[in-house]
Amino acid sequence: MKKIMIGLLMILSLTFLLPKWNVFGADLIVYTDDDYQRLHAVIQHVDNVLKYGHEYNEETDLLPDAINTLTGEPAKWTFPNRAQVPYADLANQQNFLRTLVGLSKVTGSNTYKNEAVDILTEFMSNYQNPNGLFYWGGHRAVNLDTLEVQSTEGPNGPHELKNMMPYYELMLEVNEEATLKFMRQLWTAHFYWNTTDMNRHGSYSTGYDTNVFGQTIPDDVIVMDNFGNPIIPADSPGLLPFVNSATDLAYAAFALSDYTYDSIPAEWAKYLMKQYNLASNPVTGMTVYQFKSTLVTKSSIECADPAYTNSGCGDRVARQFRDFGTIAREANVAWKNTQAIYVDNILMLLEAAKKYGVDHFVDWSRQYMEGYLENAYIRVDGKNMIIPMFIDGTVTYGYVVPEVGYFGPSNMRLDYVPMPTSYLLPILRTILQTEEDSDRVKLWSYFRDIVYTFGLGDIGELGGANPNLNVDTSIDDPFALMAMVELYDATKNKEYLEVARTIGNNIVREKFQRGFFVDSEIMLYSRLDQPDTLALLSLDAVLRGIDLAEMPFYLADSGYIHGYLLADDGVTEDRSYTQNVIYTKTIYDWE
Amino acid sequence: MKKKLILLIVLFISFILVSCKEDEIIIDIEDDVYMLLMEAEDLSGMAEKTKVLIMQDGSLGLPFEYQGVIITYNSRNKDIISDLGVVTQPGSCWIESRDQQGLDTGEFDHLNDNWPVVIDVTMTYEGQTRTAKLLFVVAPRDGFTCDKYLG
Repeated sequence: MKKIMIGLLMILSLTFLLPKWNVFGADLIVYTDDDYQRLHAVIQHVDNVLKYGHEYNEETDLLPDAINTLTGEPAKWTFPNRAQVPYADLANQQNFLRTLVGLSKVTGSNTYKNEAVDILTEFMSNYQNPNGLFYWGGHRAVNLDTLEVQSTEGPNGPHELKNMMPYYELMLEVNEEATLKFMRQLWTAHFYWNTTDMNRHGSYSTGYDTNVFGQTIPDDVIVMDNFGNPIIPADSPGLLPFVNSATDLAYAAFALSDYTYDSIPAEWAKYLMKQYNLASNPVTGMTVYQFKSTLVTKSSIECADPAYTNSGCGDRVARQFRDFGTIAREANVAWKNTQAIYVDNILMLLEAAKKYGVDHFVDWSRQYMEGYLENAYIRVDGKNMIIPMFIDGTVTYGYVVPEVGYFGPSNMRLDYVPMPTSYLLPILRTILQTEEDSDRVKLWSYFRDIVYTFGLGDIGELGGANPNLNVDTSIDDPFALMAMVELYDATKNKEYLEVARTIGNNIVREKFQRGFFVDSEIMLYSRLDQPDTLALLSLDAVLRGIDLAEMPFYLADSGYIHGYLLADDGVTEDRSYTQNVIYTKTIYDWE
Repeated sequence: MKKKLILLIVLFISFILVSCKEDEIIIDIEDDVYMLLMEAEDLSGMAEKTKVLIMQDGSLGLPFEYQGVIITYNSRNKDIISDLGVVTQPGSCWIESRDQQGLDTGEFDHLNDNWPVVIDVTMTYEGQTRTAKLLFVVAPRDGFTCDKYLG
């Protein structure tokens, strides 16, 4: 009898302890066949990219930016003279390099990382201008037939990076000298130290400056008027500090300081980012695309035609939206270029906060996101949308543009702007990096609604309690997957992991076609910069108990080529982007 | 000893039953409240008139309660739509449009007469709160003026 009582007491004690064990037990994950199938799809994709990519020209380790999934051939840029050039633009392959390293992490085989090292070794040894800039970015690529550098913007296209955020950790490992030289020259070529102007275009003729960052950091560009509002100076002679270029400059400077233990580049990066913060609206908290307007350098006669949108005619929003008065400036638009402001820039700010200790960047990120969502986020017909407005909250919804201009044709009516899933990451990462729960509440509540509206169900209360997720969701989106993986990593609530698995399965089912990951079943080209494989590997990593901090991190997939090409009519010259002419092609366009 | 054993068994079973019951109740309430708050936005009819141009004074008929959810409104332009959802058509156009030289050629008259008005919505149920937004478009009243060019 005594034994029975002791036994019962033990069972009773265990019953009380069980809930706690469930929490601890969250780390005990069974790796399933589905989990393996997803990893297998990533491996097949990578193997195929390497096989077909290397097969095209066996004299190089470089890979094309995209592969035709019907033929295995590289994507080609068709110049106005009809020359079809297969191209390798390493700035547009950063997520593939991260995928290779991530694959080595989860498989424990260095084979994949070694491929990334070989690619970078060849590129960094052969395709760096003596001034330090690499031949990559918006207007330069390597011709995979000749292995010569090719320009898509006339014979001497400039250096341009917009939210490409190279994989500096690996580059430094492969070729320290070349990487450091590049990070320094990026500033010399794009930043004007004396005037604090910035140019998204950098010249390959600018000499390497050994005294880069040697200037004294100047006073802030942005000063406040008597009412505490920022004054956006209109003194920039066509050299506008677009945030998408500034994001890359800042990221390079932080990485440089971190590696060299020289704090000066990071101080310049903080100075640069501070100008955007100072220019943000003091009431709404929404921030700007640029902190300067253009100086008018053209005559009124030249600028009389509204279709002539040269920045020498002044601020292009002030011209086209002048009906709204002084708020109508390019800096203040909150319905266009918002991915650069509220996704790419914020992901960089948060990365700088986490890796390089710039803690106040988390506060800025929260200010920007809260301001944007509080003022502009709306659910319309069950979809996540943005109300078009200027950053002071002046609504522009329904406005019919009287005349043509930089922002679109005449009679264009401003409508709601769909919110893409990429917004999930900056919102979630801001929440996770915010220290106080009380400061997380507002963003969590928006995040909860946005996730629900994307069809993922209810993520539950702040901190991840009581979620009611849609484990049968049909969403096949890499950002939703990364968000669920990162939520699981932060809370260890397995329900997030189950939804992550569902999304991962959906991605493989819908996007893994003909041996490659593509945007959808019918799309012709598999793009090396796509984020799906990186997202799938982050899921695989947490399933294996690998710390996410050990994995290559998603920052952007904004890579593109821009320049002159042969128009679709096969006769005339056009100017466009790879996103419009290559990545829109379907298998039905291929003959 | 036998009594003690029976008492212990009863106690044990009670603990299990009570803890199970509590868990179920908590989960149900939490799930239901959030879903109810979403439902209040989607099914209460508050967005009904966001699809049409509002061309008269009077109430929008906004709901203030939905299955126990208390709904309140905060208009960003109270002169045109009050916090109670009552419309007063404005006496002027939203924006006077001109060409990019700032010249009033008459070509763009009435291009941007109608006012977009955003209303912030708060929905509350048993201490839990959600926010949402509505956007209505209101036409100015007959005989309105339009002489407020800002450019």
